[in-house]
Amino acid sequence: MSKHRTWIAVATVSVLAMIGTACSSDNGNGDSGSFEGVSLTGAGATFPDPIYEQWFRDFRSVEPGAKINYQAIGSGGGVEQFTAQTVDFGASDAPLQTDEISALPGQAAEIPTVLGGVVVAYDVPGLKTGLKLDGKTTAEIFLGAVTKWNAPEIAAQNPGVTLPSTPIAVVHRSDESGTTFVFTSWLASQSPEWQQKVGADKAVQWPTGIGGDGNDGVAAGISQTSGSVGYLSYDFAVTSNLGTAQIKREDGTYVAPSIESISRAGGILTFPIGPETNILNSAAPGAYPIASTTYLLIYENQTDPNKGQTLVDLAYWALTKGQDMVQQLNYSPLPEKIRTQALNLLSTVQHQGSTIQPSPAVKG
Amino acid sequence: MGRLRAGRRWKDRAFTAFLWACAFLAMVPLVLISVYVVSRGWRALSVNFFTKEPAGPLDPSAGGIAQSFVGTGLIVGMATLFSVPLGILTAIYLAEYGRGRFAGAVRLIAEVLLSTPSIVAGVFIWSLVVVAMGTFSALAAALALTVLMWPVIARAAEEILRLVPQELREGALALGVPRWRVILRVVVPTAGAGILTAIMLAVARGLGETAPILLTALGNDFINTNPLQPTDAVPLRVFADARTPVAALHELAWGGALMLLVAVLGLSIAARAVSSRQQKRMT
Amino acid sequence: MFAGWTGAVALGLVGLLALLLAELIVGGWRTFDRFGLGFFLGREWNPVRGREAFGALPFIFGTLVTSAVAVALAVPVAVGLALLLNEVRGFVRAPLASFVDVLAAIPSVVYGLWGLFVLKPFLDRHIEPFMTSTIGTVPVAGALFRGNPNGPDLFTAGVILAIMILPIVTAVTREVVAVVPRELREGALALGATRYESIRMAVLPYARSGIVGATMLGLGRALGETIAVSMIVGNVPRIGASLFEPGATIPSWIASSFREATSVGLHRSALMALAVVLVIVAFVLAALSRLLVRRTASLVSGETPGAAETEIPKVTR
Repeated sequence: MSKHRTWIAVATVSVLAMIGTACSSDNGNGDSGSFEGVSLTGAGATFPDPIYEQWFRDFRSVEPGAKINYQAIGSGGGVEQFTAQTVDFGASDAPLQTDEISALPGQAAEIPTVLGGVVVAYDVPGLKTGLKLDGKTTAEIFLGAVTKWNAPEIAAQNPGVTLPSTPIAVVHRSDESGTTFVFTSWLASQSPEWQQKVGADKAVQWPTGIGGDGNDGVAAGISQTSGSVGYLSYDFAVTSNLGTAQIKREDGTYVAPSIESISRAGGILTFPIGPETNILNSAAPGAYPIASTTYLLIYENQTDPNKGQTLVDLAYWALTKGQDMVQQLNYSPLPEKIRTQALNLLSTVQHQGSTIQPSPAVKG
Repeated sequence: MGRLRAGRRWKDRAFTAFLWACAFLAMVPLVLISVYVVSRGWRALSVNFFTKEPAGPLDPSAGGIAQSFVGTGLIVGMATLFSVPLGILTAIYLAEYGRGRFAGAVRLIAEVLLSTPSIVAGVFIWSLVVVAMGTFSALAAALALTVLMWPVIARAAEEILRLVPQELREGALALGVPRWRVILRVVVPTAGAGILTAIMLAVARGLGETAPILLTALGNDFINTNPLQPTDAVPLRVFADARTPVAALHELAWGGALMLLVAVLGLSIAARAVSSRQQKRMT
Repeated sequence: MFAGWTGAVALGLVGLLALLLAELIVGGWRTFDRFGLGFFLGREWNPVRGREAFGALPFIFGTLVTSAVAVALAVPVAVGLALLLNEVRGFVRAPLASFVDVLAAIPSVVYGLWGLFVLKPFLDRHIEPFMTSTIGTVPVAGALFRGNPNGPDLFTAGVILAIMILPIVTAVTREVVAVVPRELREGALALGATRYESIRMAVLPYARSGIVGATMLGLGRALGETIAVSMIVGNVPRIGASLFEPGATIPSWIASSFREATSVGLHRSALMALAVVLVIVAFVLAALSRLLVRRTASLVSGETPGAAETEIPKVTR
């Protein structure tokens, strides 16, 4: 009998000890008491993948426990997994649409992190970079209405440039992507015919052209056929050797895509972020018309305090220190005003009713 | 042969030439692929490559794809663990007990599953397991691979078991040994090496599969040993890294492709060696 | 007792296929419900909200075309290879057979990468223009070989598939050919036939349905190849007029669209419906090929079909 009792006592104490250790082990705090971060999983847009990967590496020097696994499966996939809550955060190049918002289990904050742009890239014999195109002509090219490089619509915008009579071969994305969303949104804003015939979405029914899988597929497609034209995200276009078009702004001037011109477009981002939010056709001087931002999706109500803290810290860090390094990977930093508003957006993220404040480690 | 009319001899020669041309045509892609993958991938091989996790796009050579190797090991390991007993038991049923229409149906279904596109297995397991579990996981990927590996092992093992001479069975049965014992203690061990070959070939197939893992494992930048969490795998990483804008990551992708090639070639050659030893035992 | 256990596991395999079909059908149900038969015949694939239209025809077309090209290229080579392997002596046979098996082991993603970086440029720059200027000039049939050789196309995908299915078609053909009794061939040779004639007269007639069966097995494999094709076919839902145009196959389309397809709306359901189409076709082909391969065995051994209980004994390698 007493042997039994001893057994039970030992068992209870061990179990309590184990519970005690378990409880204290995963609170993310290191020996020094500062918040060390916990592991997170995220999925979504391919456009910011390189900068996110770099950010998540560097963030670990601030919070060593924050092992962030980000998989670039595409904006649509990111929203899908975020909605299904199979990941802790999502990433999307397009703002959440109305039906996506109503499918969410809770309110989500869409936090802009970095700017990029969509470039019209081409590989035409004899044509150097910097061909001038306006929205209407670009739409007509992608509609298949303008079929030769020396068409009058193109020639009119490029006086003094010898245009070959090569046929135009269109390359577009075959997979869903935020880049497509941005590009088709811009085309729809520039051409009522495009809006009516095709529309704007992460994947559309292309009237003409061949499909490439991913930005790399499109780049490969363009470079393999002379006379091709396609659209690429800016960070990709920069590393390819393709010609990039100068795009006509609403004020009549032409501007080439660059980190600077894309950055200038950022200023017109309006909060709160809604389904129609975009930074296309910015009126700011020198702003590139086909610019876009990408969003981090975080649920406002965080049930796990450690994950919530890590998420807030990550976003805070990305919007402060992180902005310093984006240019190295050919992204544009957020303008100051937008950055501040994005930081304010973070205050909607709370746990059990109280706002999660960024840790001292990231604020310092 | 005596003197032949010229036309017949010519046809014979042409035919022989055609046969050899076919052999040549089959060899050419193999050689080209191997050479190409080696030439693009060998530079990536380093200690870091095998032992470290990715280091970020600004300095990929400081890191590696250790997590992909661990993940492939975890996923394929679990898939093998599931599909080998299932496959062997199915094979035993078909070879030893199966008669008539049910056995015929099972064989047919095994063949259908064998030729089922791997993406379908991925979609199936995604729908059944990933959605139900609420997360991508190594387990889901392993289950998707099991769907593909189980019928392969079952059919191949069945063929091997059939080759075991009937006399062995009858001899043991005549001695009064119960049927199940005869199978487990006599038939299976005799067929042992052949079954091992079948398993090795199924594993080689599982190692190289990308599509089923694409939809079930999600991928991971970190080493993960938890079967219930998203995991990376070498084919997945090759597929993803080969397509990023960061050119430096392409080398990692080719390194991964090279390792995949080495692994499946190694397994195939080993399977062959085992199989020819089995030959000598059975004949 | 043990028999019961093994039988249960075998039943499990049957259950697995049933479950697989059920999951896919349930997932695709909303699409079948909305479009009905139109899904199989529809040519549009539009996931844009408000304009959703899903039709499987372009993918069925692409799948059939690439597989047809693959089979047309692979079967002659496979038959030749199988006959060769049956003829040669041991020291050449073993390594040669090994090489062919190794082709089977190469992972799909490696084929895809090689196809993308090596085969496609080669075909686009040298072979396809050549074909356009030769076969392309033939009236009617030549139209298949005209068009811009650059860029991803069904033909290149077909070539890669041919390489990938070569091993399995060769393996099954080898078995079919080996089953033909040596006496038949030796008899022909004794009567003064050349090697070619002996094969033509004594082997091929019996092996014919088996070869067709092997072809179907290869066809089945070609239908299902996913990753390699996805990387080189262009992934455009289009029914082109020539082999040199891009297209998409069912598996390549599912692979490229699935992760991004959202469940809000029909996109994901439509992809699962496509998967159902694929499984049905694979089922039909597997059943047919089995029938044909068995027919060869019974033809050769003189038994009536269906009476044989054992499978064709596998050729020792």
